[in-house]
Formats: sequence, structure tokens, C-alpha cells
Amino acid sequence: MFENVIEGIFSAAFLAAILRVTTPILLPSLGALISDRTGVINIGLEGIMLVSAFTGVVFSAYARDWFGADTGTTIGPWLGLVMGVLLGVLMALLLAFFHLRLKADLILSGIALNFLGSAVTVAIMYELTGDRGNTQGSLDSMKMPFIQLPDFLADIPIVSFFFKIFDNQSVMTWIAFIAVGLVWYVMYRTPTGRHMLAVGENPEAAASVGIRVQRVRYLALAISGVLAGLGGVHMSMGYLAFYQRDMTAGRGFIALATPYLGGGNPIGTALASLIFGFFDAISTRIGSLEIPSQLPQMVPYLATVMALVIYALQSQLGSRVRTLRAAEGEQFDVHYWSAIRRLSVLHMFMAMTAVLGIIVAVSMFSAPQGFTKVIDDVTASGIMIAILSLVLIGINLPFILHVERIGQWQWWASAGAAIASLWVYVGLFMMLFLVAANGQQVGSSTLDLSDATIALIGMGAGLVAGILIWLQLGGQYLLRNGGHAAVTA
Amino acid sequence: MRLNPQGFSRKIVFLVFSVLIGAAVTYAITYRIFDGSVDLMKDTPDYQSVLLINTLIGASVTLFVIELRWDALRVTLTVIVALLIGYLMTAAFNLDAANRFIQGEFRVTLESDGTAPDVEGMDVEYGAARAGDFNNPDHKEPLKKAAYRFAGTEGDAVTILAFPTRQNIEVDLQLALVDESGKTLAKSDSVSAEQLEAHRDLNSQKDAAIEAFVLPADGVYTIQVQPEELTLNQKIGETLSKTKVAYNAFLLGPLDRVLRWSFWIQDAITLIILGLSIALVFRAEQFSLGAEGQLYFGVLVSGIVALKFGDAPKELVVPVALLSAATAGFLWGLLPGALKAYLGANELVSTLMLNTIATRFYEMVLTFELKPDDAGYVASSWFPNKGTLTPIVEGTQITLAIYLLIAVVLLTWLIMFRTPIGYEIRMIGANIKFADYGGVNTKRTIMLAMAISGAVAGLAGAHLAMGIHRRLILNISMGLAFEGVVVALLARNNPLVAPFTGLLYSYLRTGARFMESDANVSFEVVRIIQSIIILLITAEALVTFFRRRRIRRRGTVELDGAPPDIPAQAHPPVEGTAHV
Repeated sequence: MFENVIEGIFSAAFLAAILRVTTPILLPSLGALISDRTGVINIGLEGIMLVSAFTGVVFSAYARDWFGADTGTTIGPWLGLVMGVLLGVLMALLLAFFHLRLKADLILSGIALNFLGSAVTVAIMYELTGDRGNTQGSLDSMKMPFIQLPDFLADIPIVSFFFKIFDNQSVMTWIAFIAVGLVWYVMYRTPTGRHMLAVGENPEAAASVGIRVQRVRYLALAISGVLAGLGGVHMSMGYLAFYQRDMTAGRGFIALATPYLGGGNPIGTALASLIFGFFDAISTRIGSLEIPSQLPQMVPYLATVMALVIYALQSQLGSRVRTLRAAEGEQFDVHYWSAIRRLSVLHMFMAMTAVLGIIVAVSMFSAPQGFTKVIDDVTASGIMIAILSLVLIGINLPFILHVERIGQWQWWASAGAAIASLWVYVGLFMMLFLVAANGQQVGSSTLDLSDATIALIGMGAGLVAGILIWLQLGGQYLLRNGGHAAVTA
Repeated sequence: MRLNPQGFSRKIVFLVFSVLIGAAVTYAITYRIFDGSVDLMKDTPDYQSVLLINTLIGASVTLFVIELRWDALRVTLTVIVALLIGYLMTAAFNLDAANRFIQGEFRVTLESDGTAPDVEGMDVEYGAARAGDFNNPDHKEPLKKAAYRFAGTEGDAVTILAFPTRQNIEVDLQLALVDESGKTLAKSDSVSAEQLEAHRDLNSQKDAAIEAFVLPADGVYTIQVQPEELTLNQKIGETLSKTKVAYNAFLLGPLDRVLRWSFWIQDAITLIILGLSIALVFRAEQFSLGAEGQLYFGVLVSGIVALKFGDAPKELVVPVALLSAATAGFLWGLLPGALKAYLGANELVSTLMLNTIATRFYEMVLTFELKPDDAGYVASSWFPNKGTLTPIVEGTQITLAIYLLIAVVLLTWLIMFRTPIGYEIRMIGANIKFADYGGVNTKRTIMLAMAISGAVAGLAGAHLAMGIHRRLILNISMGLAFEGVVVALLARNNPLVAPFTGLLYSYLRTGARFMESDANVSFEVVRIIQSIIILLITAEALVTFFRRRRIRRRGTVELDGAPPDIPAQAHPPVEGTAHV
């Protein structure tokens, strides 16, 4: 059973699932990115998504009544899409009007928009169907079409793996990833996009060079409405064919965090969304294990908090390094500091992952009966996990609190901590992978490894990977210079 | 309150005025729930407590007027506008109210003393009946009108009746008898009182009957049945009357009788405490929405104390449970507070995420630890009697928590206006940079503001668990904490006004619940009203907007007028921190 879960994780089907669940995070994330970079963060994404999802369902469901069975079935999904997005834009413009024109607080009106979206959809659903939970059975929407790739791709050896990932994905998934490119193009290659960035950076300065601040902000919010609307439509018409009360389940809020994690650019935001998609997909996979289903459900939210923390720490470090650079001038060693920054992210990531372990341990202490089916001695395992996590946090914490320690005379301690943490994670990961792969057909022979071999290979690979990753991220530089910044004469 | 040196007498007048308003409200509420009868009041158990609570409601109204003055007018107007919009929405939902007159199952009977000629292919014959269903929305092609053919002989007296199949169907039918050439021979759209008496099948004047009609010739006749056309007047009238029923239940429902009133009060206690919690963080300009998670921890911890130490004396258990709930909330608020203050992590996102984590954690502990093994659904066992708060009105969930509420209101006011930490909270709320230059430890204050607010939210959770539900259930809060936002906003983040706004808002919530049960209008209408209230109350330029529309716009560059600290400042720049 455990093996099944692991196999499930490392398959093309799982990667396809990641793309699938990433879509409704990625689209609003791009919306959040644009509004955020323009200086008008759109808190109302969640409400906009709900309204769009519901509108899509209503219009696609009634399309058959309005246009007859044949035409209705063809244009139904697209009508739902267009109307859903339109309503999304209208909601965003409502927010824009209240904030920009009536000077309402942006955050509070965003919160109001979320309440509005959740309430209006449920109220109208109740009127149309008499049901307050979902429209399943009474108001079934049509699904957006799925894109089939040409079949011959499945026969080409390596391409076939990717074929399995990308074949039969919803058109919305393709739209989402195309939108990444579009948003990037608009933001960095068009005057409008440049105006947005300028307004976000400094509205007064932008106004002084003739940019119409209000208009740019209206536009940015409208675009975020379009993107959130697309995400909403995907929720109700991508893989499901009905609207469910509050079906976005906080994705609109997760979307607020992804641009931070992604460093404020579309590509990074897409990667951050994929990370959330990964956690989201993995939480449903782990659901087949007999542990409390609430535990994996917490993971994406926990990851969001951690992403916020890492982002916040990094931006603090960034401003510090900029100050230092200004102060040191010629003497400033760019390579040294970029090595330090990359390694500090590594330390933070290692410590944050260990927080997950703490949560698992706390869950095991608080609800031991939920784990008895999988683990024999819950308390002992809990204590072990807790100790391991605490150790991992403990060895990484000094280098998070004082980034200077990564370099200078303590550089070897930092290296030890980073490599040891990576060793543990990669080693455990490798061992799980090998347990899953054991007994599988590899080429013509069957893989048959003893437990000792698995442990040996796992830990060995972990150590090697740990060292390599550390070296790659900046360890090389520290090693060469004895942990110090190069002194230029 | 600003004092006007010459206006001492005016101040007295104002004071008397507000006290009078409070007294009037107390009187009106008491009058309505007891139907104006002193005997009924005296028969109600614990009526003194009811009177006490009504007096407190009056006091909260007085406080509201005294503290907010002209702002109170604006708050009232905002709520009225939002209610009007809600009224329009309810009317829109009831636009189809008149449809019940054109919908429903009906039956047509054909009676005659003559003998029918034997003709093939007829729909109905003497002594037979046909039934149908007009305009059923679930049907693919709803039936709009029906026609049944029958064969008749000259001189037969036929009686045709059309009526709904059940008493509760209100379809308004009309009948016509048509001969082969298409000529209408007889028509009916209503029945007389005598016909109602004579035919047992008929049950209202809206039915139709053609009685003892003598057929002029042999041949095939057609009975045409259809619902009567709705007039515009009928449509509007029905919509308005149904909306009126709904809004009556909405606006007066909670005062119908003591039991309904108690739903209002118990909901208000939770909401007021939550509003105080939100007011504390909003005062510091921290948009923390973590009350939901903090409330869940309060529920969980107080529930565990009540369950595990149920045998200890009540005087011990209740304070311990309350204290531990507050502590749990404090800690769960401290976490995002510290993340915000020391790392600059966006508190809005982090608290929302922590809410979900807390809720899942609560569900996990409840499902796997607290649920008795033999329970069919996920809920803990009932708290031992001692672990719960004692009701002060018999048969209701209004408990000693009312005194807890008063204590929390006073305490929050004390913290906010009479302690250094409260001063610092208000200072960073007013201008964080100024506070920083002025020597306020802004980081510590932000963290403590969020933590104290968490403690208050934890108390709300304790009331929910020990006062209202008396056991732990799934979805115990249902997003209650977010409703606290509107309470705090309406109260302008003033702890002395929060009792009034909490009562007001929970009145609307309770009313909406009765509107749903009495008039079948969705409860969500009140949440729509809530979002409209938030939008209107935060729209600072609303008044100037309407005023300025009339003034010609000047040709200056329109610079963004939003407060400069709002755009993109999810992370206020914390410069020069020592933690890098």
C-alpha cells in the first residue's frame, strides 16, 4: 500500500495531475502579480473566482435551452467562459471603482468582494436550484474541451513520457501556461506594462512624467479580474461540471502569496504555483494512506506561510545587501554575496521543511488514534520525528538569524549544516523512491534490492547530492576563498 | 468625546437624548417580545434576566450615540441603504412569486347523463378524467395549455370541471368548450360559491367549471384548459407581498417571542466578542483575519478542559477553560504577529492560511481523539454539566457569558485607552512611522496587538463551545469570525460601540435565518448586505463623490489620492533590521 503511494508520486500521471491542479492557482496568481506590481493588490481574487465559476456554470447550462441542443453544446462552454470572465472583470472594476474613485480601503473592499462573491453565488444558486451546497444534478455545466495531442508522439521513446503528461489536458491548462508568456510580454515588452511597473514603484514619479496613474490602476485590476475569472471558470468547468459553494477553497488567497515566492515576475510566479500544485496533488495522493486526511490538507497552507517567511527574509537580506553594495562601492564582492544569498535560501528551505516534520509530530501527539493503522508505536515515532526536525531546524537556524555566519570564519559549520540537512532529505527521498522501484521491471531484468542496499544507495546518493547542491549554490566560492569575500586591491 | 466649553447645556441635552433613545429601544424590544402583555412577561421564567439584557441593549444604543455622534447617523444610514439594496435583491428573487398561479398539476373531469357515442381516438369520454401538469420548470418542454377531445351526442348535458389535484396547488385555471369548427361554445375562468358547494372536487374560486351545458349537435368537441394569463399588476403585487412577508420575517422575526430573541442574543455575544477582537488589530492598522483560527483553538482548548475536568467544581473549571482558551488564542495570534512584526510576512495571507491549518487541526483532533467510538457522526460527547456555562434565561442558551461579555468590553476598552500598550496600538494605527520615530517599539506592539486580539477571539470560541453548543462539532464556527469584521468596521473600531453594532448585525443574521425558514429567501442575502455595508462604510469619498459629480472637474492632473501606505505595501519596508 505504501509502495502504491510512492509509485503514484513518480509517474507521468502524477505530473499531469500537478499541471491540472496548478491551473486554478496559476491563473489568479498572475492576476495577483499584475495588480501587486501596479501597487493595487487585489484581495478580492477569491470572490471574483467564485462569481466567475458560478456564472460559467449558469451560462453553459442554459446555453442548450437558449440555442438548442446542437448549437448549445458547441458554444455552451465558450459562452460560459466569456460570461464568467466578463463578470470577473466587472467585479474587479467594482473594486477599482470603490478604491480608486470612492477612496475605500483597498484591503477592506477586497475582503468585502470576497464576502460578496461567496454570498451572491450561493443566494442565486439557492434561487435557481433550491440547493445551497452545489448545483450537481440540477444545473450541470459543460466542460471546457480537452486538448488531444497527435497520437504518433506516444510512440517516440522519451517524448512519450511528456506525451502522457500533456495529453488530454483541459484547454484552460494550456491557456494558463500561455498566459504566463503573455503576462511576461505585457509586463516587460509593452508601454502599458512598463507604465504599470512604474506606477507600482512610485505613483507620484509616474504621474510626474505624464502616466495616468488612475487609468493604469483600473487596467491592472481589470486584467487581474480577467485572469482570476479564467481560474474560476476552470474550477467549475475544467474537470468538474458543477458549481459548489466556496469551491475555490482559499486558492484566491494562495494566489496572493505566489508572486512573493516567485520573486515578483511571471516565470517565478508560475514556478511557485507549480510548487503549490505539487503540494495540492500530493495531499490527495497521500489521502490513500490511512493517516488523518486533514494532515496532508494542511500542507499547502503551511507551505504558503513558509513561502511568505522565506520571501520576507530574502527581501530583508536583499535590501541589506544593496545598502552594503552602495557603502562598499568597488570593494563589494558580487559573487560572494550572491553565493551567500543562495545558501541562505537553502538554509531557510531546510529549516522550513523541518517545520512540516514538527507539524506531523504535533499531529501524532494530539491525535494518536489517527495513525495507529500505519505506525505501530505512534508516540515513539512522533518523538523521533520531532527530535529529527528540531535538530534540522536547530542546525540551520543560526545561519538564518545571522546570514553573515554562512561566510566568514564559520563557513564550514554552515556547510556542514546545509549538507547534513540535504543528506537527510535527499537520502530519505531516495530510499522511498527505491522502495517504490523495487520489484519493478527495469529494461529486461527485474529490480531486486535488499534493504541494506537500499539504505546504502539512498544515504550515499543523499550525501553526494547534498555536497553537489551545496557546491553548486555557492559552496565552491566559499571553499576557494576560505569563506571570505575576495579582497580587491 | 470632544467637549465644547460653552456647550455644557447642549451636552446635557445630547446625553439625555441618547439615554432616551436607549430607553425607547429597550421598551420597544421588551414590548414586542412579550406582546405588550405584563402577564405574559410574568409567566416567562427568568424574565428579570430578559429585562436586564434588554436594558443592556438600550445601554449599548446610548453608548453608540454618545461615542459616534454624527458618525452614528452615517452608520445608521449605511445600514439602511444596505437593507434597501437587500430589499431590492429579495424582490428580484421573488419576481417569480406569481408563477404559482400558472404552475401545478390539474385534473379535468367530464360528466354527463347521456351515453357517449363510440368513436375511436378520443382523449376523454363521459365519466372519465384527464390530468396534467402546467409549466413544470423541471420538464424539458413545460405544458402550457391542454386540449382534450371527446365525442358527444346532441342534447347531452355535460359538466366539465377543472381543478388542481392538491389543496396546496394554486394554479388559476380557465376552461373553454370548442366545437369542430373552432367556435367557442362555453367558457369559464372561475366558479361561484354555489358551484363550490355542489362539486366536492372544486376547492377554490380559481378553478373553472362549465356546468350542465347542452351540446347543440352530434360530433367531436374539444375541452381547452390553460392557466389564466398573469397580469402585470398581479406579478408586481405578488412579488411585493412576498417580499414584504420575507422582510417582515427579516426585520421583526427575532422579536417574535423569547426563544427567537434568545437566538439573537446568543449570536450577538459571540459576534461582539469577535468584533472586539477584530477592532483591536484593525486599530493598529493590521489587517489580520486570524480570528477564525484563534476561535477554533479557543473552542478546542476550552472543550478539552470541559470534557476532561468535568468532575472538578464548576467554579474552577469555567475560569480554567476560559483562561486556557484565551491563552491558546493568544499564542495562535502571536505567531502571525511575530511573523509580521519581525519578518514582515503579510499578515492577511498568513492569518488566512493559519485559519485553515487551525480548522484542519481541530477537525483532526475531534475526529480521532474526542469523538466517542460509538458516535455515528463527528462530534464529541456532551460536556459534563459542570463544564458548561449556566443559563440565566431558562430554556435558552443565554448564559453567564453575558457577564463575560461585559468584562471583555470593559477590558478591551481599558487596554485600548488606558494602558501604554493600547496607546501604542492606536499610535501605530494612526501613523506607524511617527510612532517609530516617537520611540514606540512598533514590532513588539504589532505582535502584541495581534496576540491580544487572538486571546479575545479565543474567548469567543470558549463561549461558542461552553455556552452555545455544549459539545464540539464540526464546522462549529461557519465563518463567524469574518462577520466580526463588519461589527468592528461599523463600530469604527471602538470597543464601546462594538456591543451595539454586534447586536445590530447579529439581529440581521438572526432575522435572515427566520426569513429563510418563514419565507424561503436565502440566508445569504444578509451576507450580501454585509459586503455592501463594508464597501459603503469604508468608502471615504462617498459623500464627496456625489457632491463632486455636480461640480465641473478641474483640469489638473489627477494624482492618486489613496493613502500612500496602502499600495503594494503588503510588506511595509522594515529597514535596517538586525536580523539579516
